[in-house]
Amino acid sequence: MAILELAGVSKRFGGLLAVSNVSFSIDQGEIISMIGPNGAGKTTAFNCVTGLYPVSAGDVRLDGLSINGLPPHRVTKLGIARTFQNIRLFSYMTAVDNVMVGAHWWMKERVWDGALKTPRARREEREVQAWALDLLAQLELANYAGSYARELPYGLQRRLEIARALATQPRLLLLDEPAAGLNAREKNDLMALIARLRSEGLTIFLIEHDMRVVMEISDRIVVLDYGEKIAEGVPTEVRTNRRVIEAYLGSGASQEMHTT
Amino acid sequence: MGWLLPWFVEPTSSGIGFSPQDAVLSAPMGPGAFLLYVLAVTMLLLVLSPLAEIAARITKRPLPLIADRVRLVAAVVGFVLTLVVWFLIRVLNEEPLFGPIDSHTVTDSAVWLTLYGYAIAALVYGARRWVVARGNVAFGAAAIPFGVLLPFMFHQAPDFLLWAASSLAIYMLLALGLNVVVGFAGLLDLGYAAFFAIGAYACASFASPTHHIHLSLWLLIFIGAGVASVFGAILGAPTLRLRGDYLAIVTLGFGEIIPDLATNNVFGLTGGPNGLSSIDQPRYGPVNFGTNPQWFYWSVLAISVIVVIFLRNIERSRVGRAWVALREDEIAAAATGINTTTTKLLAFAMGASVAGVAGAFYGSLVTIVSPDDFSFAVSVAVISMIVLGGIGNIVGVILGSSVLTLSIFWILPHMNEWSMTVSAPGKPLEFLPGLATVNFTQYTYMVYGIALILMMLFRPGGLLPSRARRVELEAGIESESLAAVQGRA
Repeated sequence: MAILELAGVSKRFGGLLAVSNVSFSIDQGEIISMIGPNGAGKTTAFNCVTGLYPVSAGDVRLDGLSINGLPPHRVTKLGIARTFQNIRLFSYMTAVDNVMVGAHWWMKERVWDGALKTPRARREEREVQAWALDLLAQLELANYAGSYARELPYGLQRRLEIARALATQPRLLLLDEPAAGLNAREKNDLMALIARLRSEGLTIFLIEHDMRVVMEISDRIVVLDYGEKIAEGVPTEVRTNRRVIEAYLGSGASQEMHTT
Repeated sequence: MGWLLPWFVEPTSSGIGFSPQDAVLSAPMGPGAFLLYVLAVTMLLLVLSPLAEIAARITKRPLPLIADRVRLVAAVVGFVLTLVVWFLIRVLNEEPLFGPIDSHTVTDSAVWLTLYGYAIAALVYGARRWVVARGNVAFGAAAIPFGVLLPFMFHQAPDFLLWAASSLAIYMLLALGLNVVVGFAGLLDLGYAAFFAIGAYACASFASPTHHIHLSLWLLIFIGAGVASVFGAILGAPTLRLRGDYLAIVTLGFGEIIPDLATNNVFGLTGGPNGLSSIDQPRYGPVNFGTNPQWFYWSVLAISVIVVIFLRNIERSRVGRAWVALREDEIAAAATGINTTTTKLLAFAMGASVAGVAGAFYGSLVTIVSPDDFSFAVSVAVISMIVLGGIGNIVGVILGSSVLTLSIFWILPHMNEWSMTVSAPGKPLEFLPGLATVNFTQYTYMVYGIALILMMLFRPGGLLPSRARRVELEAGIESESLAAVQGRA
């Protein structure tokens, strides 16, 4: 059953149609990748899903209900979490605090509980902190719990961003180029992590440029070019799709590939 | 020697803390007084010796410093000796110990301060590790007894001393409140005096003959906080989409509008340019705070301590984390499930409510509020305090507000009298006759300026930077030196 559905979504910035009438859906428990050349509108589509941009036309549906026009924090509460292409951690917060911000929306503590440090607030704070440390340990970040986010090595920052997203207890995880800047071993770790998260019931939707990662882990691939969806299918189909090759390599390329 | 240690001289009833005239003319003399001088200087050396350690670390030139244990013993011995000397002079003799000493000129305050200094030194050298590890608790352990005992220390002091101390506490409240908005949530507010004004006017309206309402100060604190926080949210609402410079400009405008509204006697509530006068002196049972200023001082102090505890708790709670997240990256915060609208409004409202409390006390302290009291200069002063102390660090903000309030409202006015006295013919600085004509109180803004420039040069994070700022600055230095290395290569 479709967990997320984009129906004719368009996003216009002035005269530029960044996303044009894109439709596809993501099933529960699937790993689906979105690829396309730079400037194809992939991140814009992500921003439309997570409420950072209002869509210009069309509809984004979560479990069949429209989430158009909802502010980002409401979208997060409904179970969509995301990471960013250019890592957006809270640089001067510790790793464990970054994760605890992810727990913000489901923590019960109110302002006055915090100001008066009521026993209830203390208990919850302790529990959530233990929970956050546990989450960090699962992602092999336990040694960095007390470090500021910006002090972490690049690869671990990417992983911490995933930890923060997971702390919001999502059903659908959006990853924007999670493998960018990672070395080969880190990429393997990432693929293992994504596979594990899926086995735990999470649906994963990612943007990625690294074809090895995309082809290996994706159940399905959606290809965007100039804001339009030009292909969709399982990796083997997309790999040989004529329009996809043209989009990446230029219009002469596909003929050459077919002739040789 | 007396004019170098002015706190040895009894404050005059008209003066602010001490009279420089007396400091020069009638400084206590004689062996007993001399002993106290020596004890005071030793105390200063002990208390200030960590500065030498810091200087040695910065210049990388190790100084021979005596061990902590020796200094601890010295502090304890000094404490006991001071008590003994004081007991002999004051209590047993009521007269000089070994010769001529005017018992009216050596004040209890000098002894109190010396004792206090020795106690601090004993704390620092006896438990240095604990002081370093739990800096904030140690600060509280040192500062709260001083604050509570202040009226006793200066029991001969005129009401003015307590008046000044109460003003200091009010400015400290303002700095703490602004720190919530600027330090925690990262929203630059240049019109913070507006909320101070709103709190002060609201409370003045409910405790003066103007509208024939007379409520108790304890109720007024809550009214001030409530009304100011509502206005905080009202101002916050239109600025939600603004950041940085744009936010600063809108808040600046708001800060100008509120005193103007008060000047124009808006809805007939504010009394125009003259403001509201004859505000009730708070009382508690039979105690009238107007005639017993130490009670006023203690109540402001108690409220300040409560506010500090509240803000510290909030800083480390769910909401505090949300504010910091908002300051670090608003988009990421929103995508992580933080409602940026309510979180920002909460910061504005909470900062404003603290200013409202300060306003309530201010009105009853000076018994008159007028639009001039809430000019842009107040906002600038409060911003300078938190920047000087260390944005985002509560202890730093307390320190910054104390340093600036003291220098502007206490030291500068004193400089006038002092300069006149010491440059008179036959006095130590008679070779500088021009000194007497300098009006030091005109240099308020210069003090802000110099303080801020020195700080940016030598301690860019403030006197006590928050941990995050410290890391940020170190990172800056690292990347700079890295760039220098790469540039050379």
